[in-house]
Amino acid sequence: MTSETAAAERPNWRRYFAWNTDHKVIGIQYLVTTFFFFLVGGLIAMLIRFELIQPGVDLVDGTVFNRFLTNHGSTMIFLWVIPVLAGFGNYVLPLQLGAKDMAFPRLNALSYWLLLTGGLIMLGSFFVGASESGWTAYAPLSIEGPDGQSLWAVSIFILGFSSIFGAINFLVTTVTMRAEGVTLWRLPLFVWGMIATSISVVVATPVLTTALVMVALDRMAGTMFFSAAAGASPVHYQSLFWFYSHPAVYIMVLPAMGIISEVLPVFSRKPIFGYKTIAISSMAISVLGMTVWAHHMFTSGMDPRLRLPFMITSMIIAVPTGVKIFSWLATVWDGKLHLKTPMLFSLGFISMFLIGGIGGIFLAAIPIDIHVHDTYFVVGHLHMVLFGGSVFGIFAGLYYWFPKITGRMYQEWLGKVHFWLTLVGTILTYIPMHLAGLAGMPRRIVDYADEFTDLNVLASIGGFILGIAVLPFIYNVIVSWARGPAAGNNPWRALTLEWQTSSPPPEHNFEHEPRMDHGPYDFGHDLVTGTPAAAPASGD
Amino acid sequence: MRERTIFLLILVALALIGVGVLAAVGLDLMPTAAADRADAVDQLFRIMIGVATVIFLLVEGALVFAVLRFRVKEDDESSGPPVHDNLSLELVWTLIPAIIVVVIGVYSFRVLSAIEVTAEDEMVVEVVARQFTWEFRYPEFDNLTSSQLHLVVGQPVRFEITSEDVIHSFYIPAFRAKRDATPGQISELVVTPTELGRYPIRCAELCGAGHANMLSEAVVESESDFEAWVENISSLPDDPTEAGRFVFEKYGCGACHTLEDMGTTSTVGPDMNGIGQRAGERIEGMTAEDYIRQSLLDPSAHLVEGFADGLMPQDLDQRMSEAELEAIVQYLLNQ
Repeated sequence: MTSETAAAERPNWRRYFAWNTDHKVIGIQYLVTTFFFFLVGGLIAMLIRFELIQPGVDLVDGTVFNRFLTNHGSTMIFLWVIPVLAGFGNYVLPLQLGAKDMAFPRLNALSYWLLLTGGLIMLGSFFVGASESGWTAYAPLSIEGPDGQSLWAVSIFILGFSSIFGAINFLVTTVTMRAEGVTLWRLPLFVWGMIATSISVVVATPVLTTALVMVALDRMAGTMFFSAAAGASPVHYQSLFWFYSHPAVYIMVLPAMGIISEVLPVFSRKPIFGYKTIAISSMAISVLGMTVWAHHMFTSGMDPRLRLPFMITSMIIAVPTGVKIFSWLATVWDGKLHLKTPMLFSLGFISMFLIGGIGGIFLAAIPIDIHVHDTYFVVGHLHMVLFGGSVFGIFAGLYYWFPKITGRMYQEWLGKVHFWLTLVGTILTYIPMHLAGLAGMPRRIVDYADEFTDLNVLASIGGFILGIAVLPFIYNVIVSWARGPAAGNNPWRALTLEWQTSSPPPEHNFEHEPRMDHGPYDFGHDLVTGTPAAAPASGD
Repeated sequence: MRERTIFLLILVALALIGVGVLAAVGLDLMPTAAADRADAVDQLFRIMIGVATVIFLLVEGALVFAVLRFRVKEDDESSGPPVHDNLSLELVWTLIPAIIVVVIGVYSFRVLSAIEVTAEDEMVVEVVARQFTWEFRYPEFDNLTSSQLHLVVGQPVRFEITSEDVIHSFYIPAFRAKRDATPGQISELVVTPTELGRYPIRCAELCGAGHANMLSEAVVESESDFEAWVENISSLPDDPTEAGRFVFEKYGCGACHTLEDMGTTSTVGPDMNGIGQRAGERIEGMTAEDYIRQSLLDPSAHLVEGFADGLMPQDLDQRMSEAELEAIVQYLLNQ
C-alpha cells in the first residue's frame, strides 16, 4: 500500500476517543493524552517559577505551593514521562518486530483506559484538597494530609496496573511475535530499551503499590504501619517507596535512550557503535537500578553500615551509562551527519545527560550527599536527567516518528526553533539550581533567603523560556498533521521495519510478510537509495 | 602525521588537566566552611569538580567537534564507514570509568569514616523538631532549652535529633551536616565547629505549610561567651517587655507569626500585630487575657478561620513555665 492510499483510508478521528485494540490507535491515544498532562505539569511549573523569581511569599502561601510542587512532580512522572514512553512502545514496538499488533490487544487497550482514569482521578484530587506532601509522599506527613492525598494514592494504584499490563505486553510481544529474521541480536535498540524497562516495571511497581496501600490504610482504616506512636518506623515507608522509585527513573530513561540509539545511526548514516554493548548495558542498568534505592536515604538515620553498599552500587551504575555515551559518540564520529530535529534533540540528550550523570556521581558520594540531599542540587540534577535526558529523547522520538504516525512531514525550521529554545532554557534553568543547592538552598520551599535570589531569577527566566519553547512544537504538530506534505514510507531512509511499510501503516501493519535480512543499523554496507545489501549484523 | 597527532593529543590532554585543576582550585561553590567536616568534604568536592570538568570537556568537546566536523549537506546520500565496534576501545572506555568510580568511592568512604568519628569530650545537644520550629536542649546544662543553637568553637558536639510530629531534617550548610529528624527515633550527628560566626540552620525535609520558615541559627562562640549565654537564657529577664520577647524567641513563635516588634514576617499562622485588641473582641464574654492564655495552652480551642488545625505546638502547657506563660501573655496584650 502506498502512503497516499493509506492517507486516504485514514481512520475516522472518532476511533481515537473510543475503545480500540489497534496498537497504533492506542499509541496515539497515549501520546496525545500524556502530552496534555505534560502541559498541565508544565503550567504548574510556570507558576512555581513565578513564585520563586523573588524571595518572599508572593503568589501563593506555603500550603498551595506544596500542592503545586506535589502535583507538578506527580503529573510529570506518572502521567507524562512514564506513560509517553509506553505510548512510543505501543506504536513502534510491534512494527519494529514485524508483528501485526501486540500479543494482548485488549489488555493493551485496558492499559490506556487505566491511564486516562488514573490521570483524571489525580486531576480530580486537586479539587478536594490536593495532596501536598511531595510526589514522594513521605509518612507521617502524607498520613495527615487532606482528602486529595487519598485520591492521589488511588490514582497511582490504578496507574501502576496500567504500567504493569503494558510491560507484560511488551515482554510477551517481543518474545513471541517477531517476524522472520528478527533475531535477538537484530532487535532494534528501542526494543531492548523497552524490554529492560518492562522488567523493572514488573518487579518494582508492585512495591510502590504496596507502600501506597499501606499509606491509604493508615489514613482511612486506622492501621499504624508507619506510626511512630505505635512503635513502627516511618523510615520503612521510604525503603518501600524508593525500591520502586529509583528503578522508576530508569524506567523513565531507558526507552528514551533507546530512541537516541534509533535516531543517531539514521542521521549519521552509520551503524550504531557497540550494538551488543548498548543492549547489554540497558539490561544491566535495569537490574543494577534495583540495587541502589537507599541512596535516597543517606540522611534518614538508616543504619550507617548499610550506606556503603548503596554508595558502591550507585557508583557502579555510572559505568554502563558512561559506556552508552561513548558508544553514541563513536556512532556519530566520522559519520555523515544530518542535523535534523530528531538528531538535534538526540545530541542535546547526550550533552544534558552527561551533565546530569556526572551530578549523579557527586550525589552518590555520601559525604557530599549529606550536604546536598534535599537541596536544589538534587532538583537541578533530576531535571537535567529527566528533562535534559528523557524529555529531549521524547521530543527526538516525536519528531522522528511523526511522519510514520501521521503520514505527513513536520516543518523542520519550527523544529529547530523548538530545539534551540529548549536547549538554552534547560541550561539556564537547571545549572543555577545546582549552584543554589551547593550554597545551601533546600528544596520544596516557597520562600528563600536573599542570598539565593540571583540564581532563582536565572532559573525562572530559563523556566519561562522552556514554557515558550513548547509553543512552536504544538503549532508544528497541529498544522503539519492537518496539511503537511506527504512523508512517504521512509523519509529518513532508515533500516528498521517500521519504515518498510506505508506511513501510516495499514491496519495489519504490513501488506507483505515482513522479514529482516540484516541488522537494524547496517548503514554503509551497500547504500543504494537507502536499501542496504544483506550484511551480517554484528556478532553473528 | 602520526607524531603531530600524538603531540596534539598530549597538548589537549595537558590543557584539559590544566582546566580541571583550575576548576578544582578556583571555583568557590560551597558556602563558608565552619566545621571540621566541612574541610574534609570540600576537599573531596574540589577533587571531584576537577575530574568532572575534565570528563565533561573531553566528552562534550568531542561531541561538538564531531557535529561541526562531520556535518554534510542535506542532499548528500552517502554513508559513513560501516564500523560496528572496536573491542579494545570499548574495553578501555569501560575500564577507565570503572577505575575512576572505584577511586572516588574509596576516597569518599575514607572521608565518611573520618567525619563520623565520635570524640571523647562531646557536648550533647538534643534537637527536637516540630512543625515549624527547632528546639535545642542542653542536658549538660540543666536541660536548658532554646530555639537558637549556641556552640563553643572547637568543642565537638553530638546532636541527638528527633521530631515530635512529621519528618524534618536538621541541616547546617556551613557544617556540611544534615540528619533527618524522625518521630520515634533518635538520630545522631557529630560535628566540631571550627570558625566563630553565625550560620543558618534550615529544615531540609518537606514538613508542611511552614517548611520554608523552619529556620534557626547556629551561633559558634568562645567558651566564655557561651557560658554567658547559658547564664542569660536560664532565667527570664526582669523587664516585662524583654521577658515577653525572650519567651517569643525561645519557643520559636516567629516561625509562624508576624510581629513587628520582633521583626518576624511569617504567615503560616495568624498575624500577632494588634492581637492585644483583637483577642478581647473574638469571643463574647472572654477577656483578651483569657483568650490569649487559652490559645497558647490549647491551640485548637479558638482556631482562626483560614488556618489549619494542628500546626501550632500542642504541648506548650507542658514546656512553658508559669512565669514564661505570664510573660508572653502580658507581652502580647501590648501588641
